[in-house]
Amino acid sequence: MSLDPRRAALDAQVIEWMQEPLWGDDDERFETLALALFAFQFEHCAAYRRYCEGRGRTPARVERWQDVPAVPTGAFKEVALRSFPEQRTECVFRTSGTTTRKRGELHLDTLAVYEASLLPPFCRFLLPDLTAHHPLATLLVLAPSPAEARDSSLSHMFGVAIREIGAEGSRFFVERGELELDALRKALDEAPHDAPLLLCGTAFAFVHFADALDARGERLELPPRTRIMETGGFKGRSRNLPRTDLYPLLEARLGVALERIVNQYGMTELGSQFYDSVLVDPEGPRRKLAPPWTRVRVLDPETGAEAQPGDNGALFVTDLANTGSVCAIQTTDIGRQLGEGFEVLGREPGAEERGCSIAADELLSGDGE
Amino acid sequence: MTPEAVREQRDALRRAGERLRRRPFDDTLAVLARVLDAWSDPESSYRRRLEAELPGATGFSPQTVREGLALALSEWSGDALTTLAHRELPRPVEGAATTAVILAGSIPMPSLLSIVAPLALRSPVLVKCASRDTVTPRLVARSLIDADRELGECIALLDVRGDAQSCIDALLEAECVLATGSDETIAALRERMSDPQRLVAHGHRLSLAALGPQACSAAALPGVAAALARDVALWDQLGCLSPLAVYVPRDCVVPVGDALAEALARLERVLPRGSIDARSAAAIAAERSEAELRGAAGHATRVLAGSGTSWTVVCEAVAAVRPAPLHRFLRIFPVTDAAALLETLRPYASHLAGVALAGFGAAEPDLTERLRALGASRVCAPGRLQAPPLDWRRDGHSVLASLAPAPV
Repeated sequence: MSLDPRRAALDAQVIEWMQEPLWGDDDERFETLALALFAFQFEHCAAYRRYCEGRGRTPARVERWQDVPAVPTGAFKEVALRSFPEQRTECVFRTSGTTTRKRGELHLDTLAVYEASLLPPFCRFLLPDLTAHHPLATLLVLAPSPAEARDSSLSHMFGVAIREIGAEGSRFFVERGELELDALRKALDEAPHDAPLLLCGTAFAFVHFADALDARGERLELPPRTRIMETGGFKGRSRNLPRTDLYPLLEARLGVALERIVNQYGMTELGSQFYDSVLVDPEGPRRKLAPPWTRVRVLDPETGAEAQPGDNGALFVTDLANTGSVCAIQTTDIGRQLGEGFEVLGREPGAEERGCSIAADELLSGDGE
Repeated sequence: MTPEAVREQRDALRRAGERLRRRPFDDTLAVLARVLDAWSDPESSYRRRLEAELPGATGFSPQTVREGLALALSEWSGDALTTLAHRELPRPVEGAATTAVILAGSIPMPSLLSIVAPLALRSPVLVKCASRDTVTPRLVARSLIDADRELGECIALLDVRGDAQSCIDALLEAECVLATGSDETIAALRERMSDPQRLVAHGHRLSLAALGPQACSAAALPGVAAALARDVALWDQLGCLSPLAVYVPRDCVVPVGDALAEALARLERVLPRGSIDARSAAAIAAERSEAELRGAAGHATRVLAGSGTSWTVVCEAVAAVRPAPLHRFLRIFPVTDAAALLETLRPYASHLAGVALAGFGAAEPDLTERLRALGASRVCAPGRLQAPPLDWRRDGHSVLASLAPAPV
């Protein structure tokens, strides 16, 4: 069964945008594609169609991309939000989670758009010093390989990055849940000093790495062209560190300056990712920057209206890379606009609850993965 | 504040405690009874000040604070304390030389009782206020000082932030610790204490409601729903006695949902929900959308909601574990019968506080006992969850005897 021709045309237009070397905010182009995607997804995803109809938002009525109904990330745990026939499913990425709670699933019928979307921001925000003459970087990944974690979108992303821009020696350093410390140490020792070195992985893997170095009484001084990319939370898999503590820890243990540590904001439910601005705009405030085929809005959850600049609100993402599922996503993350980017706000460390009631899901979600 | 200052306060309290223990047990008890009488009087200056100051400090609406206090404190009289003391402490008992009281959250009644209870055993209290409510402990201390200067010298309020490790360590040197907090907080405290120190801990808990067929009849439902909605609305569903979900017979999910939605809408006009932060509002908005999407995907799920995120009722198709965003967000789950209800609640047993129960007819006494055996420390009629008696054995602990150094 071949790809629906309308969908194929949409995919082609989105991929074309992703492959353009110059990034500009083309609002008209974004709106045209977002509305066309909405119409397609409305037609091909029955649950989403009924959801939109329940809100009185049909393609005939929606004239702005901002009015496309967003689905909450949690819905990916409950409903297979695919805009293609089930038998065309090529890949399912799953959110990390616990054995007692359902995991969110992103169903894909093609990896073409997904893979096309991940590399340009990865290179732009993490490896801005790559050139046509020096197109490769050493990528050392503190995460399991895609072969080991087949349903992890993060591992897949790193796998594509190694495949496309990884220099010799690039590889994964987590196997069967264990960090291969000696191998990683050796790879760091052998990494060339005159080429970009990217150490990337999950935040909790970096905590394990830092703690392991501490246990050995080691402090590294990685080459000046090293940068770190970390992503994700901790979910009980290491001690829980706010980034205000994690980054100084990494700076102290690895010798990588704070302004060369980049957080990636991404989620399984989204095809695209967002990165801290520090490597492309070291003078400006640390903020997340988005590729042009996405829009991130900060909405007042009480009213659904745009939050005032600087005010906190819920993050809503419209991602044209989500051609096979639903392109408008409602997250439960809180953030605020910051310049042309946005900031994701974590929970205040040590913040006390207002009451003494416990949320029911907390009771059954503490058994790790 | 420094750890040395905490220790100085504790030493001063020790001396004050020695003076207090020279007085007869009943003498202290009589003073505390007068203090509680003042707190149970809506016209007392302490109540008025608490009603005036707590909304600004905690975000609860003034109406909710007034109504919540009126319901909860109406029976917390001096006589109730005296009766409780004589029942739990048949002979005069000396409490610990000092008791560290670690408060959490912003609901005032647990704070009031956590301060008064050790004093009833003539154990002076070193109080770490909750960051979200310094009003209640300050006014309780004022009421004690006003009632009896010597008793007032047995309380010290500490301005210690939750993460000021060295000060917390100094605080935890007290002979007895009475603490409220999350499981994580309690576990951390337990780890830092050692024998013969005593820890009386109140962790975070949840409450639920169960309605049998008789409570869901057309005649009974409006009254039951109004009462249950009150249990939800008071303290904006943030208390451990606030029901998060209602279990009903399968064919009653829709009418119960409608009745509760109507009742919550009515209450929003007289007891408006307080302010909430963007994170909590986002969680509510996301849970509503998720439920809508489940409905769109063919599950029998309905969402009924007020303006903004003021209140939400979600009628669910199956009794599954789902997040509870709190702030007046109620789920209605179907269960087939009482046996199924008990099985459904079993996973929550260790964290169960209260169950509002109605409409099970002759089976109700047996069900009540089974719920108690499961772990519910309060089983009562809808509308009464937020009014636990003074002798409520919260988390199974006796109010006073649990603070005694040796079994009473």
